[in-house]
Amino acid sequence: MKTAKQENAPTRPNELLGPEMSPELLNQRVGDEARVRARAWWWWLALFATAGGVFMMFTAITWVLAKGVGIWGLQIPVAWGFAIINFVWWIGIGHAGTFISAILLLLQQDWRNSINRFTEAMTLFAVACAGLFPLLHLGRPQYFYYLIPYPNEMGLWPQFRSPLVWDFFAVSTYGTVSLIFWYLGLVPDLATMRDRTKPGLRKKIYAFFSLGWLGRDQQWKDYRALYFMLAGLATPLVISVHSIVGLDFAVSIVPGWHSTVFPPYFVAGAIFSGFAMVATLVIPIRKLFKLEGMITTRHLDNIGKVMLATGMMVGFGYVSEVFFEWYSGDAFEMQTLMDRLTGYYAPVFWTVIFCNVISIQALWWRGIRTNPWLLWILAGVANIGMWMERYLIVVTSLGHDYLTSSWQDFNATGWDWALYLGTLCFFFFLVVLFVRLIPMVSMHEIREILHERAERGKEAS
Amino acid sequence: MSSSSDAISPSLAASNSGRKEPSTIFLIAGAVLLAISTILLFVTGSEADPARNFSGWIVGVSFWVSIIIGMLFITMIWYLFDSGWSIVMRRQVEHAFAATPWLLVCFLPIIALVVLDPGSAKVAWTWLGHAKMSPGGHGSVEQDVLYQAKSGYLNYGALLIRFFGVFAVWIVLTQCFRKWSLKMDETGDHKYVHWARKLSAAGIPLCAAATTIAAIDWFKSMNYHWFSTMYGVWFFAASMRAGLAAIVLAMFWQSRRDGGLKGILKPAHAYLMGCIMLAFTIFWAYISFSQFFLIYSANIPEETFWYNMRELTEEGMKNSWFVISRLLIYGYFFVPFLWLLFYTNKFGWRIIAAASYILVFHLIDLYWNILPQELVGEHHEIFTRGFSIMPVDILTWLGTGCIFLWAYLKSSNQYRPIPIRDPRILESLNPNE
Amino acid sequence: MSKPYGILALFNTAQEIYHAAESVRDAGYKRWDCITPFPIHGMNEAMGLKRSLVGAFTLVGGLTGFTTGMTIAWFAGEFNYPLIVQGKPFFSFVFPFPVAYELTILLSAFGTLIGMFLTNRLPRHHHPVMDYSNFHRLTDDKFAVVIETDDPLYDEAKTKRFLEELHPAEVVVLENKEEVKA
Repeated sequence: MKTAKQENAPTRPNELLGPEMSPELLNQRVGDEARVRARAWWWWLALFATAGGVFMMFTAITWVLAKGVGIWGLQIPVAWGFAIINFVWWIGIGHAGTFISAILLLLQQDWRNSINRFTEAMTLFAVACAGLFPLLHLGRPQYFYYLIPYPNEMGLWPQFRSPLVWDFFAVSTYGTVSLIFWYLGLVPDLATMRDRTKPGLRKKIYAFFSLGWLGRDQQWKDYRALYFMLAGLATPLVISVHSIVGLDFAVSIVPGWHSTVFPPYFVAGAIFSGFAMVATLVIPIRKLFKLEGMITTRHLDNIGKVMLATGMMVGFGYVSEVFFEWYSGDAFEMQTLMDRLTGYYAPVFWTVIFCNVISIQALWWRGIRTNPWLLWILAGVANIGMWMERYLIVVTSLGHDYLTSSWQDFNATGWDWALYLGTLCFFFFLVVLFVRLIPMVSMHEIREILHERAERGKEAS
Repeated sequence: MSSSSDAISPSLAASNSGRKEPSTIFLIAGAVLLAISTILLFVTGSEADPARNFSGWIVGVSFWVSIIIGMLFITMIWYLFDSGWSIVMRRQVEHAFAATPWLLVCFLPIIALVVLDPGSAKVAWTWLGHAKMSPGGHGSVEQDVLYQAKSGYLNYGALLIRFFGVFAVWIVLTQCFRKWSLKMDETGDHKYVHWARKLSAAGIPLCAAATTIAAIDWFKSMNYHWFSTMYGVWFFAASMRAGLAAIVLAMFWQSRRDGGLKGILKPAHAYLMGCIMLAFTIFWAYISFSQFFLIYSANIPEETFWYNMRELTEEGMKNSWFVISRLLIYGYFFVPFLWLLFYTNKFGWRIIAAASYILVFHLIDLYWNILPQELVGEHHEIFTRGFSIMPVDILTWLGTGCIFLWAYLKSSNQYRPIPIRDPRILESLNPNE
Repeated sequence: MSKPYGILALFNTAQEIYHAAESVRDAGYKRWDCITPFPIHGMNEAMGLKRSLVGAFTLVGGLTGFTTGMTIAWFAGEFNYPLIVQGKPFFSFVFPFPVAYELTILLSAFGTLIGMFLTNRLPRHHHPVMDYSNFHRLTDDKFAVVIETDDPLYDEAKTKRFLEELHPAEVVVLENKEEVKA
């Protein structure tokens, strides 16, 4: 039976917060209980497993610095391989965090308040993983600083017409602004943790990082101005960073790469894979830490909807590309198209279509979006699909470009996989540490929602 | 914490007792203007540039079609985002949706010309005339290798099917949203909101496909050698800007009428519309710049010619489009962007000025996209049609506009100014910034 | 015996402190503040505060960033070491646009950050309010109004009575354990 309230608000069937949520429960679940739970056996298991992967990553990094990029599967013409694929994939994943923090804030979508802390952290970890690859894939990584326009006696300047230089500026800006945004969002919560902790080293650390935050209204006023200003800055940043990453490909003349729709298509793909990673992380965490009261089925529903919408945009991009590769009448574009549809790379192409276009159609059904484990599986499928899409873009176009005598297909080596899987483990390692040390949910923002709910409840009665 | 003295109840707001605006005059004016314009299309035309009237027609009608497309998209976006503040505005959009079938009628003279004589020199879609000389000196269109590659898409029958197909999508979507909202006024049944949300979810991909196809068929095929995957997105962005500006103008006009939005329209509504207008100004600039930037950077002649036409003559001197190109950058992006960035500029006369300004520049943007076409001269020299405003442009634009206004006013006279039984109407009547 | 810092009145709900703030504002106090665990809608108006100045810092930062980006590209490409690359001009506003754009955002963010720290006067690791016994509730679920002794209308007895009339949960005089230079 629907209550009168539910009748009157048919477009809001799920509450943002579970009915049992209260400020005390908020503090408990996010503050104290989280730390207690994080001492459980599964946390230690996750930590050690991922630490093993981190060790593998460091080995792979050391070996590539010692021996050079020849240990990877790179060759001519496929001079870009896993490094670029992984770089684009990780940066894309990071974008969901900023989208949730910044864009959903500006769109007044309150449901973001439960997950934004977590996803912003995810962004930072993803950017950290992404940042490794442009450094490592340089032939002489010790000269990475040549990308910075500093005065030197060699007369050396970065090439401002090159998208790789733009990438450097874009990703540095993105990492810095995300860090600032995440940290500042954290300050009031660190103040709460400071005040709930007994005196000691931990309290001192919280006190130091919370900057003496009091909660004075003067402070909140400027804080909110800052927060919304940063959100307003982070929005064009999100869009521009992955557009610039897309420009890595689109400003070239390689067939299959020179497509004017790449900037928004890459951004849509980034948000798609990012939300898929959010779902992959958030669904187990809400179960393990009993956060279902704060991350409700409404959040899962919305994550599913965003995945569906951006997945459809990515699908639109695929249709555009296929259509225009044919429409252009260019023989080389047609060749790339045929390679993907029926040629050597057809299995990769059709897997991508299955993962990113067909499987997500299941998300039209609310029952599937709000089922945590089905959504988790679809999110995993989407993550794999997006990685393979990057593989498709990079490898198929480079492998079969203009000079047929140079055509060569790409084969990844063990070191390629070791580094990629290593960064994956590094990412999860950082997440495991994060859930133990820092409040996972933005407490002051949830308190706002609790307060609003109490107000609405009073008005209704 | 809003004070209750400002709160408005729906019943107070939605009385239908206002003065009815004269609408038939617009119907008559529109019909007359379009009739004259049709005659100009079929009968007149210069020797040097016979297809100019056709291009002018496309500009005039597409302006109003793009407003409907923008309004359709924003309606679907509002439904999907579950936004509460916009319900008041949505009814104005639903009134405007009444014009959609009539816009198809306004387009029919073009289709008639295409059906009657596709190879005619008057038809600007040169690929329809297989014997015509193709620009670039590759012989006739039939012999043009680049046409042959696309002839599976760019052919007469497919064009007509697609034309009616895209209009079918737009008409079905707009009429469904309109009918359901008006029905809900009478019955108060909330199922219509659920239906509308579901239709929005399905409608966005459909409308995106339709908009892209329209842009390719009507605008891009003017220079069929050229291709850009971003083009459909450009038309979407431009339509959004036009649609939002039209909504702002409509809501302010209604806010002066007793049977309209007088006393209902709040500053917060204008502010939020201003924010969306700012967002789409930036989006349009992003899309347009991306397209330009990629073609500039790769520097392939097969693609850059399209932009070169809009800047330089064959000899490399600046042509009439150069000024328009610069005007679009500074006037259509920087000025509205800087204007709408500031808080105070999103209210009152300032936002009305911004909306009007954007509509004028939308017309210039359409001119810039549609008009420049490579023409083959008598001595087989290739030149670009220059910028000009001809009587046929004005007549078509005014005529279609009158029909659009007639349909909007007829609906506004007949139905309530706000969807009074929408479940979220209270939220919209008392919005927060 | 050091001068007290001010008087604090504790409230249990956001509604109460909202109305209390309006009363304090209307009584004409100038040096006072509300302490809340989350920002309350409309509190700025209730307290009579002006809009934040943070935006000005953002604008300055942004303009600096854009100019810097374009200048570096111009300096490198046209002035210091011109190279013909891709047949493109030595300098144009088009190709360094991504770099200038990113620097705009970066320096806007820094400007905003500096602006907030300057206007907020953070970091400030000790504040007299922190010595209050119930302070840990203020970052949790309770709200407080603090009127400082520096306020021209301050009078210990009168102000205390005024605050008690607002029906707080408790009223406390805050001591100033260190001489803090404001």
